[in-house]
Amino acid sequence: MRLLVVEDDADLARQLTERLSAEGYAVDRAGDGEEGQFLGETEPYDAVVLDLGLPKVDGLSVLRAWRAAGVATPVIILTARGTWSEKVQGIDAGADDYLAKPFNMEELLARVRALIRRTKGHASPEIACGPVVLDTRTGRVTVDGRPVDLTAHEHRVLSYLMHRKGQVVSRTELTEHIYAQDFDRDSNTIEVFVGRLRRKLGVDVIRTVRGLGYRMEEA
Amino acid sequence: MTRSLRFRLLAGAAVWIVLALAMAGVVLSGLFRDHVMARFEAELGNHLAQLATLLEIAGDGKPVLTQPLSDPRFRRPLSGLYWQVGPADAPVLRARSLWDEILQLPKDEVADGEIHQHRIPGPGGRFVIVMERMITLPASAASPSANPIRIAVAADESELLAVVDAFERVLWLSLGILAAVLIAAALVQVAVGLQPLTRLRDELAALRSGAKRRFDSAVPSEVAPLVADLNALLSHSEEVVGRARLQAGNLAHALKTNLSVLANEAEALTPETARTVAPAMARRVTLMRRHIDHHMARARAAASRGLPGSGTPVLERAAGLARTLEKLHAGRGITLTVAVPPGLAFAGEREDLEEMLGNLMDNACAWARGRVVVSARRGVAGMISVLVDDDGPGLPVDRREAVLTAGVRLDESTPGSGLGLAVVRDVARLYGGDVRLADSPLGGLRAELMLPSQD
Repeated sequence: MRLLVVEDDADLARQLTERLSAEGYAVDRAGDGEEGQFLGETEPYDAVVLDLGLPKVDGLSVLRAWRAAGVATPVIILTARGTWSEKVQGIDAGADDYLAKPFNMEELLARVRALIRRTKGHASPEIACGPVVLDTRTGRVTVDGRPVDLTAHEHRVLSYLMHRKGQVVSRTELTEHIYAQDFDRDSNTIEVFVGRLRRKLGVDVIRTVRGLGYRMEEA
Repeated sequence: MTRSLRFRLLAGAAVWIVLALAMAGVVLSGLFRDHVMARFEAELGNHLAQLATLLEIAGDGKPVLTQPLSDPRFRRPLSGLYWQVGPADAPVLRARSLWDEILQLPKDEVADGEIHQHRIPGPGGRFVIVMERMITLPASAASPSANPIRIAVAADESELLAVVDAFERVLWLSLGILAAVLIAAALVQVAVGLQPLTRLRDELAALRSGAKRRFDSAVPSEVAPLVADLNALLSHSEEVVGRARLQAGNLAHALKTNLSVLANEAEALTPETARTVAPAMARRVTLMRRHIDHHMARARAAASRGLPGSGTPVLERAAGLARTLEKLHAGRGITLTVAVPPGLAFAGEREDLEEMLGNLMDNACAWARGRVVVSARRGVAGMISVLVDDDGPGLPVDRREAVLTAGVRLDESTPGSGLGLAVVRDVARLYGGDVRLADSPLGGLRAELMLPSQD
């Protein structure tokens, strides 16, 4: 899963990026509204964490611009004021969730997970595909109840495929959603990750759709 | 410059004085000119009549004057007053004053008895006003038929112009002096009239330096309401500042207590205790945030109280909050229904209503199993009552007072309770309203918010 963090406070932005990366997300960072608006309009993120008080262009304007441009990426708003009037404004501008500063990092993580899960159409925090189960709350992957150890990149690939269960995901799409913007991408490594995943899971749930990409389906 | 009251008053006065006097001057000089002209024409008419009377046909058939015209100027060469008898190109008789010139009368068919007037160049190149007519001399032995003949008298117009010029010089000079005197008077009047404002400015300076606390000098009745308003504003801001100081003190106390706990925890933090201490620290931070929210809401409500506002419609705000809460609680399957009649308006700020209603509705959503209903009705004595019902577990009667008191949280694991409800009560009471908790017909808790109505 690939996230965008738009936050002007350098310390908070660093904390957010480090923590979200540690949770297995590919994270891009923008320090002002202009850059944030550009990234949000051009890169395919799975969720955005957007601060309201931003230099150059304020967060609400960025959000309205995205929605006007047809960007449907789920957005969590961060703000220092946290009054109900501001929440109503934020939601009416197109936000999907809201968190007041100072916030608890665990709460932010829970909301990001839930938001991504909901927007991909999963009601339950556990996504299952045959014997393979991904617990979005903890990130744990089990096969028939037996835990499987995955590296960060393998986890990202599996998590994205699980969220898009039953749909064909192209290699390009996978690449775009598992690497941050400044990462040196190589779509050949995707095949390597998928190969290792198949070995580690031990069951045939990742299908190769020739010429199109991959699809997860129950074996 | 144009923003100065003195300048505006003076400019206004000057414009009207100059305009009025200029109009008076134009009218007066016009009247005078008409009058002089009428006199001039009357005199010319007299001379023409005399000429007609004195003219007759002599024995040789030529017209002669039976006696000279009475005005001596007709005999003094180029005196400015002339007469002439006969056709324009070959007059038969002329006044001596014409000397060797003739009046170049225009070609003109003048009917018998009709008098015509012209302005033509006369002797010496100066313009003259000519009055002419045809008369018919009685037949005589020498000319048996009737003898129509053209007669004319003329007078130099420069005389006329000189009189008018002299009058106008005197007229404009005196009007100019009058304007100057009037403007000077306006200057004095404006200075005297604005003196109370100058005094007010001095008082304002005294107020700013702290020498005074209120405007207390006698002021004209026109600015008295303004001064009364200013005094009321001064009282209001004094009150607000006092309350703000108190609030800041309260907030500082609440934060410092928590900060000292945090500081102690941080000091004693070791890698081993981190796991157990971190949640406690996070809870402290949450508590501090709630304190800040609480005091912010109170401060805003207190500051806006007593200032006239346009009122806040309840339906629009409740609907906006419902939209927001549906998203924030998405995935929990809660149905939010807003059944507020349109037209109900709260006599207060929009942000305050949203803060109170938002906290109540959020609390209801946090506890509800599946339904939250917001309704409202007109209450007694100019109040409106907003009801927030949920189908959650409800709250025992003996705990209800406690959740409305600051700092109390019944359930640490479910967000939304605690200071949130205390804020609602504080803000409602600042507006002269209140909040009550009761059993809901839906099975859970009912919060009733009573607020002053706008109408």
